[in-house]
Amino acid sequence: MSTHHHHAKDFLFTYVFSTDHKMISKQFLITGFLMGFIGLIMSTLFRLQLGWPGESFQMVELLMGSWQENGVMSPDKYLALVTMHGTIMVFFLLTAGLSGTFSNLLIPLQIGARDMASGFLNMLSYWFFFVSSVIMLISLFVEGGSASAGWTIYPPLSALPQAIPGSGAGMTLWLVSMSIFIVSSLLGSLNYIVTIFNLRTKGMSMTRLPLTIWAFLLTAVLGVLSFPVLLSAALLLVFDRSFGTSFYLSDIYIGGQVLEHSGGSPILFEHLFWFLGHPEVYIVLLPALGITSEIISTMSRKPIFGYRAMIGSMMAIGFLSFIVWGHHMFLTGMNPFLGSVFTFTTLLIAIPSAVKVFNYLTTLWKGNIVFTPATLFSVGLVSTFISGGVTGLVLGNSALDINVHDTYFVIGHFHIVMGLSAIFGMFAGVYHWFPKLFGRMMNNKLGNLHFWFTIVCAYGVFFPMHFLGFAGVPRRYYTNSEFPMFDEMININEFISIFAIVAMIAQLIFFFNFVYSALRGPKAPMNPWKANSLEWTTPVEHFHGNWYGEIPTVYRWPYDYSKVDSNGDYIYGEDFIPQTTPLGENEKDGGEH
Amino acid sequence: MSTLTAENINYKEELKRKTSKPLIWIGIVSIIMFFGGLTSAVIVSQGGGGFLAIEMPFAFTISTFIIVASSLSFHFGLISVKKGNYSAAKLSIIITLIFGLLFVVTQYMGWTFLHDNGYYAAGKESTQESSFLYLLTGLHVVHLIGGLFSLLVVLVKTMKNKYSLENLTGMQVSITYWHFLGALWIYLFLFLRFIIA
Amino acid sequence: MTIVVIITAILIIIVASQLLKIAELRAKSKGELIYEVSEKAGKTQGTLLLTFLFVLMGFFFWQMYSWYGLRLPDSASVHGESIDFLSDVTYMIITPVFILTHIVLLWFCYKYAYSSKRKALFFSHSYKLEVIWTITPALVLTVLILMGLTSWNQIMTPVPSETDHVLIELTGQQFTWTARYAGDDKKLGRSHVTLIEGVNATGVDAKDENAKDDKLVKGEFHLPVGVPVQFVFRSLDAIHSAYLPHFRAQMNCVPGITTQFNFTPTITTEEMKAKTGNEEFNYVLLCNKICGAAHYNMQMDVIVESQEDYDKWLAEQKTFVE
Ligand code: HEM
Ligand SMILES: [Cu+2]
Ligand SMILES: [Cu+2]
Repeated sequence: MSTHHHHAKDFLFTYVFSTDHKMISKQFLITGFLMGFIGLIMSTLFRLQLGWPGESFQMVELLMGSWQENGVMSPDKYLALVTMHGTIMVFFLLTAGLSGTFSNLLIPLQIGARDMASGFLNMLSYWFFFVSSVIMLISLFVEGGSASAGWTIYPPLSALPQAIPGSGAGMTLWLVSMSIFIVSSLLGSLNYIVTIFNLRTKGMSMTRLPLTIWAFLLTAVLGVLSFPVLLSAALLLVFDRSFGTSFYLSDIYIGGQVLEHSGGSPILFEHLFWFLGHPEVYIVLLPALGITSEIISTMSRKPIFGYRAMIGSMMAIGFLSFIVWGHHMFLTGMNPFLGSVFTFTTLLIAIPSAVKVFNYLTTLWKGNIVFTPATLFSVGLVSTFISGGVTGLVLGNSALDINVHDTYFVIGHFHIVMGLSAIFGMFAGVYHWFPKLFGRMMNNKLGNLHFWFTIVCAYGVFFPMHFLGFAGVPRRYYTNSEFPMFDEMININEFISIFAIVAMIAQLIFFFNFVYSALRGPKAPMNPWKANSLEWTTPVEHFHGNWYGEIPTVYRWPYDYSKVDSNGDYIYGEDFIPQTTPLGENEKDGGEH
Repeated sequence: MSTLTAENINYKEELKRKTSKPLIWIGIVSIIMFFGGLTSAVIVSQGGGGFLAIEMPFAFTISTFIIVASSLSFHFGLISVKKGNYSAAKLSIIITLIFGLLFVVTQYMGWTFLHDNGYYAAGKESTQESSFLYLLTGLHVVHLIGGLFSLLVVLVKTMKNKYSLENLTGMQVSITYWHFLGALWIYLFLFLRFIIA
Repeated sequence: MTIVVIITAILIIIVASQLLKIAELRAKSKGELIYEVSEKAGKTQGTLLLTFLFVLMGFFFWQMYSWYGLRLPDSASVHGESIDFLSDVTYMIITPVFILTHIVLLWFCYKYAYSSKRKALFFSHSYKLEVIWTITPALVLTVLILMGLTSWNQIMTPVPSETDHVLIELTGQQFTWTARYAGDDKKLGRSHVTLIEGVNATGVDAKDENAKDDKLVKGEFHLPVGVPVQFVFRSLDAIHSAYLPHFRAQMNCVPGITTQFNFTPTITTEEMKAKTGNEEFNYVLLCNKICGAAHYNMQMDVIVESQEDYDKWLAEQKTFVE
């Protein structure tokens, strides 16, 4: 009996309440993907409505229960879906799912630590995330439906159930869920920062860290600095909603009644929200950039070009991201001078971003590129980062924003630059580190197929949205059919929706590959990609502590690929030199010859 | 649990020693951002019109002295442990705890004073300014209650003579947080004084 | 039906799993590792990426060809021309950047796909290059920022009170718009939500002298061509955004505060009908900030006409006290 009991306990602590960063990483990954899949299905559902407004769909009936009538969703439920889609994608998939998975997996492994600074806090971080996910999903089923004020939940809409049914119980749960989410994210970030600063193995100086780690570090710093502000914003909203304060509300007449609130300002909320909201964009993006830096270098068998410039530009992006939030508020009646300042700071971000792109290109130049699915997705990221980034110059310029603000142009822009780039980075990471996560390899052919479907459909979905924007089509519209001026848009909308459906189906290839490979895939060797960084020196099987015996010492930066001597031969006979190889005589570190 | 390999026991101890202090410091940074967000919210709201003149309760001034005193006594406790004077340490930690509780009491007195003078936290008669006043002080107390719990833990451990010159991490973490709460209060106090003309 | 779908799905999964297993065994029997990318497979992906370059660019130009014509017609306001100009300049810069970087990116992928005969170049940094591509974007941005800020500041400056202009207050509420003309005294009367009652839909203060000649209109509002229009915006409930795309004008309507925007219409509705060849053409005001279930249908028509027609129309509207 006692052994049986022991097993149950073992199981509980190994798989459920694990404090091992590798297990927690998998938990984040799987929960994040499940949430992401739900967010994806939501987008398909509302794309059906946008592509074929008012038409009846069996699938809608099947999936949406009381949220539809005769297979057509209602306008308020449309907004509920859009809101949940945005929330889930931004926070649950791309913040927790992306950063949670890879920070957890890679920080200890790449810096040479046995685990995170605090395994316990780390476990709490996951479970808070889990609980907040569950609450967010439950909110779909409460009276009045889920939150419906957009993922930005601007009051008064989000504060008044009279304004939209979703601002009742659904919004309450949204706020509860997000508060728990914020705690989870803070616990995670805390751990990441402390681990990186304090638990690096011997020889692992800050300038020998892989760029992934730099990206995770800066992401965590952004998180610690910005999420608490969102918490304060949410808290004030909770008070306004439930306790009759007037932080955000004033002079409101709704449903034939004047409300008692006076003296507050919704603009205050917008300031607080976007003080998080903009850094959040980079919280989503930086890990993806870090991951691709690592993969592009490894797979083109070349050192990353401009290691220091890459760090510098990530720092610049991180810093600037705190002083640009006003670009979401150009048209709120803010002082035009303030608008000018925000235009200036916003456009400045283009410089470090451009540096990153050029550095990626130069890394590929004269490389010897091995095209795994991870490489493909990394190249995809560079592409989307460019395509989405350039339109930022339009939106960031306040004068131009006047006419494209809140139109489909914005939807196109941010899905490409943030949604796609981050998703591509995440896929790349999963393909690349799958052997570390599950000890098995994913199937390349299916991976390639997945990539091609995804990138073609992604452009098919989001590129045309810019043209909707040129025509002035606003976002968050249930249908465009109420305006004769948008009648011709129906073709574009149908086009987009078809690609969206195919994109969704194509993700099934990935899920199949993922599940199959995790269970049945070929066993992974220790270092399948012939990479330099430390995680590839750990045994394939997982155990708490990562290395048997001593943690290896590090002697060089992680990007010594294809380093040759004066005769043009590889220095150690191979085109890669792991970080654990001591520097030879006359050999310089950090990419110097 | 599973093998942490040869260094097992030392590893955990060392880990704790190395990481507890940075953890609390970064935690503090996030709390600073939290209150930073709220106090800048006050500034942004104030930008619209003039702020109401709210009379600051005298109890809040007393709170300020109390929290400074509590920090001093806690600090004295730490020094005593370092010197090996455990009875003095116990005493000063108990005093700190009492000061902490007194702080909460004076805060409560402050709120009662505000309430009696017609400044409400919420509802029809509340103003944004009065709501902010309650909210900021209230949230500080919420954080302080966390500090009181950690003080309790420190007290129990001191009672059991768990601390020594080599093993002070827990106490140092607690004291860092406690000093921070003091500093935070002083900031809030000055901020409110300054804002509320 | 559902059952058929489920069974098919299961079958597909089973077949796919078996195929994967077989592929793996076959690779093994040949002494290969299935996850290793062969030189040939790598070249294929490189070629596909190069093909993708043509697909992407083809798609881009195809969209320009088929959908660019659907864009908003030329600006119907004075400041809108500066916006359109700046916008053209911006696209003139970013389109080549988009195209060239993609050519470079995807060409490299093709050109440098793995070959066992080559060695990658160990090239880790170059001070010179990095400076070049920091400075170049910086210079380009300086131009864009300067141009942008110049027009932004012009646009956001309210019409000076001594200039002849029309003053209109637009109030948004779920899910309609109300326009209030300032009347002969060129002054809007006070208003507050507590005064809302019956026809007084936006709570105008009847006691205020300035309010007496104010005119409230719904459904459509008129503007005289060539005269600056100063708008003031209010909202009664959620945040709305008054969006007049043809005039390149937009401003949020925020409960509790008033915001402002101004523009000078340059093309009458009739002229625009002729210009676009669309008899049905109408300027519209739409709501562009999520404000509730019927957000997608919160509109008001805008008619731009000659001064005479405008005066005539305005004279027909009832003043507030009437
Ligand atoms: C195939 C995948 C996706 C499709 C088809 C899709 C489609 C859309 C569409 C059409 C909208 C606008 C709806 C409206 O304004 O009425 C939207 C909103 C949004 N999407 Fe996606 N999306 C996808 C994936 C993603 C991803 C990966 C992200 C992660 C960043 C994301 C984040 C958002 C956000 C934040 C919004 C705004 C929600 C709001 O307005 O409150 N989406 N999506
Ligand atoms: Cu932003
Ligand atoms: Cu509206």
